[in-house]
Amino acid sequence: MYTAWTVKHKPKTLGEVVGNREAVAGLISWLRSWEKGIPKKRAAFLHGPPGIGKTVAVEALAKDWNLELVEKNASDYRTEEAVQKFAGLASQYGTLFGKKRLILFDELDGLTGREDRGGVGAIVRVVKQARCPIILIANNAYNPRLSSLRYYCFLIQFKRPPARSVAKRLRQICQHVGIDAEEEALEFIAQRSQGDVRSAINDLQALAQGKKRLTYEDVSWLAHRDRKDAIFNVLKLIFYSKSCDAAKSTVDMADVDPNMLFEWIYENMPYHLRDSEDLAKAMESLAIADLYRSRIRQTHNWKLTRYVIDFMTAGVAVAREKTKPAGFVPLRFPERIKMLSRTKRERQMQSKIGLKIKRRCHVSAVKAITEFLPYLKVIFDNNLEMASGAARWLDLDDSMIEYLAGTKKQAKAIIKAD
Amino acid sequence: MLSFEMWAEKYRPRSLKEMVNQKDIVERLKSFVGARNIPHCIFAGPPGTGKTTAALCLAHDLYGETYREHLMELNASDERGINVVRQTVKTFARVRTLGEIPFKILILDEADNMTRDAQQALRRTMERFTETCRLILIANYSGKIIEPIQSRCAPFRFTYLQREDQDAYLRHIAESEKVQLPDEGLNATFEICGGDLRRAINTLQAAASLGKPITNEVVYSVIGRANPMDIREMIQIAMNGDFIGARNKLREMILKYGVAGSDIIRQIHMEIFRMRNIPEPWKVRLADAVGEIDFRLISGADEEIQLSALLARLVEAGMTMRQSG
Repeated sequence: MYTAWTVKHKPKTLGEVVGNREAVAGLISWLRSWEKGIPKKRAAFLHGPPGIGKTVAVEALAKDWNLELVEKNASDYRTEEAVQKFAGLASQYGTLFGKKRLILFDELDGLTGREDRGGVGAIVRVVKQARCPIILIANNAYNPRLSSLRYYCFLIQFKRPPARSVAKRLRQICQHVGIDAEEEALEFIAQRSQGDVRSAINDLQALAQGKKRLTYEDVSWLAHRDRKDAIFNVLKLIFYSKSCDAAKSTVDMADVDPNMLFEWIYENMPYHLRDSEDLAKAMESLAIADLYRSRIRQTHNWKLTRYVIDFMTAGVAVAREKTKPAGFVPLRFPERIKMLSRTKRERQMQSKIGLKIKRRCHVSAVKAITEFLPYLKVIFDNNLEMASGAARWLDLDDSMIEYLAGTKKQAKAIIKAD
Repeated sequence: MLSFEMWAEKYRPRSLKEMVNQKDIVERLKSFVGARNIPHCIFAGPPGTGKTTAALCLAHDLYGETYREHLMELNASDERGINVVRQTVKTFARVRTLGEIPFKILILDEADNMTRDAQQALRRTMERFTETCRLILIANYSGKIIEPIQSRCAPFRFTYLQREDQDAYLRHIAESEKVQLPDEGLNATFEICGGDLRRAINTLQAAASLGKPITNEVVYSVIGRANPMDIREMIQIAMNGDFIGARNKLREMILKYGVAGSDIIRQIHMEIFRMRNIPEPWKVRLADAVGEIDFRLISGADEEIQLSALLARLVEAGMTMRQSG
């Protein structure tokens, strides 16, 4: 049976809600104020972009405080009469069974149509007379239609949680369902969701369900999934057309900038041009295109771009003389782009260590990375005493020691030897 | 180990008297010290041949133990760009120093990595502040320094260390550190590092960390781990017809290990002439291709793309050689 992970892995308590600590604290303190009698603001109005946990926060709140949650959404209160129907509910705090009650009006944004007139007024009346806490939720609290409501409400803003919090949540879900996921993969999904936890979890489910492992390769397609077909056709034209014009026209067809198209061509070319002579010619043509790119960088003369285009499209197209069109060749995502983002953290760490070496050894940080760092790695792998001495001399922090040592265990031993 | 240092630093000569090689250069520098005056200088030459050391020693001998107060070291690779030259250099250069020698020394390391604009700015600074500040520009290639600066500087060309000098220095270090260094270890080190003393000393220290006598085998195992540049293997893969495999090797070196394109191309050049299974006439033809790519790299093209183009040439060459027997 298919269960959405957004439902299955909903936060069970407020503590599990991703990010928004401040908003959650505000929500709790507002609810606490009900313990001392009916407060001035009888309703809390949670607002913020979709998918960041407003509704699940309220559900978790009800669970944590053992409240009976009466949930209403747009379809339930489109008209004045509809709202009146459950106005009675709000007139009592306690229920028949002694449980306290919390009323939730969700998706208020849906209440702005012509025919909903009166609906907002009815909710205002319910809020004014309420004897139990009411929570309202909308994406945009500053919608003019809701202005009469705002006055009676305690406004609480929910913000997009940072990508790292979203990634952390994704990691928990993966652990829960038993998927071994690469950190980079989860970070990529999280980044892309821009704080929309719900869409991030949906993406994760679509990509990972039924798998044991989730790698960066599995997810890197995400950014390009809509463009995949377009790129596929463009590359076929470049690799198999005989006409310069046809090959050159692809630049406008491809929905990517010329530099990215260059990367796609470079990555996929050797899988299509199987003849070594053709490949050498085509690769040389790409290299010439690249040469023009560097000339553009040096002279800032963007007019030279037309030659980049000539060599990366037409030049590659006419290089094919002996290779016969192959059968189906799967499209490959540019490895360089993947590796660059993958190795980013490693490169950052290297340059941090490079700066430390620079302070001691009269070399640039850049040069330190090739001239000293590899040897330090050997030392850190083999000799605890020397390594701890080096760590002290260079003033390395624990993360740098761990990078050089390669494993956490070795790093611990080195730190202990100090 | 209470007082650890990287040996490359620990055994760096402090005074010109201690320098073991570059005899002609050292003599000229000593004569500057005697005259208590120096011109602007360019120290050019391959890595690990004592350029930075010579500059530091010169300052030490000129000013004595407090030489650091009269000296500024800038590294163009980290701080290149026109603003650094404008601000840092100017501020340093214009303030007159106290003491019997009326000028300060500015060491600008890896100066060949400076942009042309920054070099132009430097040229004016050199003229204006000659009275108060002397520059020592350090570079691998003096050709990358613009002509107007070159003509204002006394040139010094450093060369790789002689085998005897390097061996003697490594033996001295091994003795002080109580490490056993048999001749075969020295051979292997020279084979790999050429006359690059910094690389040789780093190799020695990494090898010593294994806690065994430094044999041929130990040196190669250190290099294997420290230096993932298996250029010969990459060339072989390409010449056997596997472009994609060779490209993967190349990517690993560049992206994962951060090996510089200029190092890769230099090694390819060396390997091609060393490889026995390449017919002699082909070696020259391939050298032409290598040279062209080297030139493009110097002019700022993308390392991976250009080297890939070279790999594709090697694939093609391998194929043609097989067909012609």
